[in-house]
Formats: sequence, structure tokens, C-alpha cells
Amino acid sequence: MTRWVVEVQVLSSALRSLLEPHGGDGGFPRVCCEGLREACAAGVDAAVGAGASYADARAVTRHLQSVGTKNGRVETLTDAETEGIGVRVLVGGAWGFACDRRLTPEGARDAALRACAFAAAAGVNGRRALAPLEARSGSYRTPVRQDPFSVSLADKVALCLRAEAAMQHSDVKVAQASVRALSERKLFLSSDGAEIDQELVECGGGIDAMAAVDGLFQMRSYPSAHVGVSAQAGWEFVEGLGLEREASRVAEEAAALLRADECPAAVTTVVIAAEQMQLQVHESVGHPTELDRVYGTEAAYAGTSFLQASDLGSLRYGSEHMNITADSTTPSGLGTFGFDDEGVPASREPVVAEGVLRGFLTSRETAARLGKGSGGSMRADGWARMPLVRMTNLHLEPGSGSLEELISEVDEGIFLDTNRSWSIDDKRLNFQFGTQVAREIKGGKLGRMLRDATYTGVTPVFWGSLDRVAGPEEWVMHGLTNCGKGQPGQHAHVSHGASPARFRDVQVGVKS
Amino acid sequence: MDALAIAERALALASGDEAEVVVGTERSGFARYAGSEVHQPTLIENAGVQLRLLRDGRAGLATTNRTDDEGLAELARRAADVVASASENPDLPPLASPASFPEIDGYDEETASLGAEDQARLAAAAIGASGDLDLYGYFTSGVCELAIASTTGLRASQRTTDATCLALAAGDGASGYAERTAWRAGEIDPAEVAEEAAGKAARTRGAQEAGPARYRAVLDPYAIAELLYYFSFDSLNGLALLEERSFFAGRIGEQVFDPQVTLVDDALDPSGLPAAFDFEGTPKQHVTLVEEGVIRGPVWDRATAARAGRESTGHALPAASRAFGPVPTAVTMAAGKAESVEELAELVGDGIYVTRLHYLSVVSPHEGVITGMTRDGTFRIRDGKIAEPLVNLRFTVSVPDLLADVPGLTRATQLVNESDFYDDRWAYGYRVPALATACFNVTGAGSGPGL
Repeated sequence: MTRWVVEVQVLSSALRSLLEPHGGDGGFPRVCCEGLREACAAGVDAAVGAGASYADARAVTRHLQSVGTKNGRVETLTDAETEGIGVRVLVGGAWGFACDRRLTPEGARDAALRACAFAAAAGVNGRRALAPLEARSGSYRTPVRQDPFSVSLADKVALCLRAEAAMQHSDVKVAQASVRALSERKLFLSSDGAEIDQELVECGGGIDAMAAVDGLFQMRSYPSAHVGVSAQAGWEFVEGLGLEREASRVAEEAAALLRADECPAAVTTVVIAAEQMQLQVHESVGHPTELDRVYGTEAAYAGTSFLQASDLGSLRYGSEHMNITADSTTPSGLGTFGFDDEGVPASREPVVAEGVLRGFLTSRETAARLGKGSGGSMRADGWARMPLVRMTNLHLEPGSGSLEELISEVDEGIFLDTNRSWSIDDKRLNFQFGTQVAREIKGGKLGRMLRDATYTGVTPVFWGSLDRVAGPEEWVMHGLTNCGKGQPGQHAHVSHGASPARFRDVQVGVKS
Repeated sequence: MDALAIAERALALASGDEAEVVVGTERSGFARYAGSEVHQPTLIENAGVQLRLLRDGRAGLATTNRTDDEGLAELARRAADVVASASENPDLPPLASPASFPEIDGYDEETASLGAEDQARLAAAAIGASGDLDLYGYFTSGVCELAIASTTGLRASQRTTDATCLALAAGDGASGYAERTAWRAGEIDPAEVAEEAAGKAARTRGAQEAGPARYRAVLDPYAIAELLYYFSFDSLNGLALLEERSFFAGRIGEQVFDPQVTLVDDALDPSGLPAAFDFEGTPKQHVTLVEEGVIRGPVWDRATAARAGRESTGHALPAASRAFGPVPTAVTMAAGKAESVEELAELVGDGIYVTRLHYLSVVSPHEGVITGMTRDGTFRIRDGKIAEPLVNLRFTVSVPDLLADVPGLTRATQLVNESDFYDDRWAYGYRVPALATACFNVTGAGSGPGL
């Protein structure tokens, strides 16, 4: 993979007042207007004036277009905009956060003062250390060939209608298609002297066919089951998905599942397709390596982790074939940025190397507590939420060989493809996934189609049974937009790359 | 902010054959705590405006949170562009007509007036009552207004308040859970919530394994509410019925569940989180979903009701989520006669007792099969008594099987918050008793209680 490197200017905080609003960015147009900078500066200054030892302000504008069609009808056609500013402060060792939808100095000041009052009322005593960060000015913009907002809504509707028309089948009761486009502009200023200007552009799409007959219901989706897939890219990404091309296959497979045998219960070898591997990585590696979960701050809702901070560098997570990388520089990843929402530059770091835990996903605060790293995984859902430790792009690195080779080495087993259900315990140990489709593997070849497949395991045992990952030619990255965490709840947009992988002695066919 | 006034201004700028404006405002605070200190306090103020235009059988939606004249004018321009891009939809129902709306409770001045200092104080009251264990969770309160104005002459507006205290008392090898939610914050005693969580946690040390098996079980209200909420996504949803993925498909009028099982959706119930109308401006109806074990039907919004030849029951979701279909958000499960969970344990005899569920997922919508984990208080029941603590258990249950044989339910019911406060604030919850079942299918074991 090629790596995109963020250009930054490194400045001392003493120079902050002399900063020009635009850093070294390769010359692309300025993303945010001067008014946003003025608002952010007013928020930071007001917070510091009210006693904050640290403050940051994020001004965000977000534009989302959503198109969804179902059975020849336009179901969803939305153009949504939202804007506002969020101010985060540290007062007496306590965090505070408040937001305001006015993108003005007055709105920012009001938010800052409310955030300080809330922090003071929280009554936390003591200091809260943050990992050191050089003051930076910089900017980042998603590279796109065709701006997804330059494609008319009418053309987006037409694409969806064509794709679902190609899914017509006598057993398919519901054919649906969707596309989306998102643009988020944000300006970040902090009392440490950061000034960061970013514009992230996403788009994506997908199709689903739902078949039903005689009380049976089955579904097939492409490219994934989670309202399609998205990428930080231009409209060329959506065109490259080939929704129309794949539609008839998706419909035929949904119908065929109605007549398929149920996946039997067994302990067997499984070969898991790249799409399902992405969710496996997300749930059983991504979330447990979020350091805030390790330290317990998400215990009430999302849960904690089976990992301890002291496991770093020594815990055997899986077999030697397991290599996981957190990479916020991956081209087209939904977790790609120039800087995270604390102003930490994008980076590529190992999380698991040859089966051993080598890294956590961190914030400046959790990195300081760990005494290692500098953060870089703090992300907020829009302007009205505090940043949390979130995945960026988390990948299973490829091994070697083709999917066909992986299967050819299996005498008896199950091939599992496209997520259907997902659940994992609060420490991220016991998981159970279901897939839309499975196929029997016999004598090294794919056999009959199977429906209602599930598999279950315990995270380190399961990853310990990994005996081969397919090569770079099979490696696929998909972006998900529905990762939930936090109270109040936040959605994160993350990407995962994976190749198909093979695991031995896995329980499949869990019955109710 | 006067939400209806904003809606009127936006409507005046709209140009379409029909136009509908939905305005939602929010002022809220979250004093979120972990390790017995407030670590993520969040104050939110926002106002969202949605303009939906219908023109020549086409529909389009635009939204903004700018409520100045320029922002609303821009909204009208964008909505006009959107509707011009739509294709004709012969199934598109017209906008809701003016209606008289029921008088509801649901707004409390004292709750509305709570500010950051109050939220921090109430969080501190919970933290101070968790004893030797650290507390995790939050105290939140908010005031919201929902207003709808349309070219049909419909005008609707309601102000509501809500408050929730959520407490996980936890330490090494021990954790217990409790929560309270109400539209009057004064009904919530944060210390009592923390004490319940800490008391439950103290009983979870030394958790044992339990093997996969079909157990008899007692589920606390926290657990049964969560299970019913996930079951509602497909099986209590009129769209899912039309699309044949609801368990109710082909079974309406059949006796499927235990005669003790009655489920209604009643947003007018003052003991819940009341609402007078849905996000299309349809008055909320009292809907019987299951009556003494007999399936009566799902809930409907305007689009699905039109397809089914029925009337909307007032269950339209916000426009951004409407493709999901209508979902009941104020389900009440009829109470039983048991005086306590301990009495239900006597009815079960031998089985397990479950406090709370975690990370549910629908495995098979048509069969109502759901998987998930238990957490923060799972126990063995032996000889009719709640006995030793258990590790967190994976379950894969058919909800219809679970409700088919119900030895008992408690007389007391509890309102359980089912909104996780994603996106715009909208509090809703299910009021349920604790329930005993003859069929709770455990398919694996996970981590122990505690951090």
C-alpha cells in the first residue's frame, strides 16, 4: 500500500498569535472561512480566561446526502446540513464539554463558559496529564477525482433504481439500493497552539435482496450487509462498486438460500471471507485495544477489555499469522485524516505483530497514563459530542496465496461470507457472528450452499487457531459508518482491510 | 426557543404542493462518570429543522440547524432541489391532516430547569452511595420540544422532559447494574440507584461457570425490556410484517405466547415517557400487540398503513430513520402476581437469574431469534433460591419460545430507558415486570463480572 503523508508545519505555542490561518497543505483551497477561526479562538480564549488549564474548540459543518430506493420507489431522499462548535476544557483536573450551534465568537464563548462551569461542578481533584504534543498548524483534504456532491441527486436516484431493477426475481420480495455522500469540514484550535483545518469527503453505496417463501426469509447484500460500504473518496468509488453488475447475482443467491440446507452444528475448519473478517477484526481486536476501555471508562455501556495495560508487548493475542495495524493514513479509509480531534498527526502503528500485542488505540490522556505513545485515535461524532478513543483504519495484514489455495487445503469445513448478526461480550472475549451465506468445503473445494450459518468463539483462542491469511491480491478494505460508543451515543466511521482467513476447530451452527 | 414558531417560519418559506416542517429542540446535560469521577460531562443545545416537500407524487427532505431567516430560506431552496430530483412514488401517502391531540403529561418544570451544577450534584449523589466499589454510568436530564406544521393546517407541539440515572458498581470480579428513568427527575433518587447496583455487585464475587443448556430463568426488567426492544425491530414493525420478515407474519390472531403475556404500546401512559403524536403528526394510539398470548398485530406509520389498508397508529420514526419502518417505543408488558424476583425464583425452581443483557443482535428475524450476553449480575437459581453468581453467559434465544411458557411475572413494573441518546435527543422506554420463563437457551460462557 502506498502511504499518504500529511504535510504539517511545526510551530511553538509562542508563535500561535502570529499564525497565519493556513498551514503547509500542498496548495489546496482553504477549507474553513476566517469566521470559523475567529469563533474557535474566542472559545479557547474564553475557556483559558475562565481558568481552564487546557482548552480546544472544534467548529464543524457537515453536509450529508442520502438516497435510498426500494422496489422501484424512492424511499429516502435527504439533503442534511448541520453546524456548530464544541469546546472541551480542563479545569482543576476535570474535563468539561459544551457545544453551541452558533458558529460565532459569541456562541463559542458561551459554550466555553458552560463547559468550564460543568468541569468545575464535577469536582474532580488533582491533575490530569496529557501526552505532550508539539503545536502544529496544518490542513488535510480528502483527495477526490469527482466531488460526490457534483453528481446530481437525480443521477444518484437513477443509479439506485437501475441497480435494484436488476435484482428482480420471483422470490425476492424486497430489492433495495442506497448511496450516500458526506462532507465534513472542521477547524480545530487548542490552547496548546494547534490550528488544524480539515475537509473529509465520503461516499458509498450498497444493495440488498430479501427473499421470502413459505415462512422462510433470507437476505443477500453487496458489498456488505451494513447499508453498503463507504470510503473517503470521490464518486469514482461508488461507480467502481459495480452495484448494477452485482445485482442479479445478489438476487439469485438470496433466492437460492431459501432452498439451501441449514448450516449444521460442528467443530470444524472455517474459511472466512474478507467482508466478515473485517467485522471480526473490528469487534475482537479494535474495541478491546481501545485504551479507554482497558482503563474502564466505557464500562457502563460499551464495556471494558480482556486486555490489561501491562499486557503490552507480551500478551499472545493469536497465532504468528496475525498482524494487525492501525493506520489513519490509509488512502480512502473512513478513519483517515491529517490529524485526530485532539490535533495529533495521523500515523501507522502495529497493534498485533506475529500474534503478540504491540499497541493500543490511545488519546493524549490515556497515552500519558500508559507512559507510551502520543494518542492519535480521538474522534468525535460531529460538533455536539466530546472526542472518544475510536478506531481509525484497523487492518488485518495480508499473508500469502489466494482464497482458492486456502480452501484447497481444507478437507472438510465451512466457508462463511457477509455478516448477518454480530455480538460480543463486554470484555470482548465471547463472540458470536452469523453470516448471510455459507458453503460446505469438501476435499478442498466449495460445495453446497448453506443458510443460517453462525460461528462462535473466545477471542484469543479463536485468533490462536488462525493458520493462514490470504495474500495482498485478496485484500479488500471496507468502510462502516455505524460503530457506536459513548454516552450520549456517538457513531464513528471506520475502515478495515482484510484478506480471507482460515481458522481451525471453530464451533459453527449455534442453535436457539 | 419556540419550536412551533420556527416551524411556522420555515413553512412560510416552503414551496411545494404540500410541505411539512418538523422542528426538534434540545437542551441537555450528561454528567457521565467512571471510576467514581465525572469524566465526560457534556452539555448540548441544538435545534433541528426538517422540511419535507411533496410535489406531483414526489417527496424530498432537507434539514438544517440554522434557524435564522437566511438558514431557513436556504433550507427551502435545498428542499425544492431535492424534491425536483425525486421520481414519482404512487404509494406516497399524503401528509397528515389536522387532528386533535390527547393531553399528556411528560413535562416537569423542575426537571427542565436542571443545569450543569444540578446534573453534577445528582451524579455525585450516586457516586457517593456506591460503597467500596467504583461507580460508572451517568446522570442526565434534558428538555426537548417537538413541533410540526404543515400545509394541511396541522399544528402540533409538545414539550417533554426526561431524566435517567444509570449505575454500574464495579471492581475486580464484581459488578452490578441498576437504572431509573422518568420524566420527573424528582422521582429518581441517584443514591438509591447506586445502592441497588452496589448491592447486586456484592453478590457477584466468585462467579462460576455454567454450561450450555436450555435453562428456566428469571429476567430482571432491565433484561426483558432490552430483549423485547430488539424483538420489536422486526416482529412489532408493520413494514417488517409487509415484507414477511416479522415473526407475526401469518400468525395474527393465533395463540402463540403464554396467556400471561400481554404487550401494548401506549405512549399516553403517564408512568412512561409520554408523547402525544409521532414524527408525522399522527396522534399516538394505544395499540395492543399481544393480548393474553394471542398475536394482535404490529404498529404502523402512514406509509405502511396505506400499503396495508389500515390507519397509522402514530408510530412514525424521525424522517432520517423512517425507512426502518414503524417501531413501538412505549411498550408496556402486563404485570403478574409475584411480589418479588425471589418469588419468581421459587416458581423457576432450578435455573438462572439474569440482571442485564449486553450487545444483542437479531440472528433470525422471522423466527425472533436473538443472541447476546448476560452481564453485571447473573446467578444460579437452586431449589427456588437465588444462589451462586455466574460468569456472563452467551444466550441464543427464540423470543417466541421464551414467551411461550411464563411461570410468572412480578406485580411491580419498571420503566427501562431504551434510548442510548445517539443523534438528536429522544428519550423512550419500555415498562415491564420481571419475568420467569421456562426456556432461556445458554449457548456459551464469557468473561466474569467486574472490570
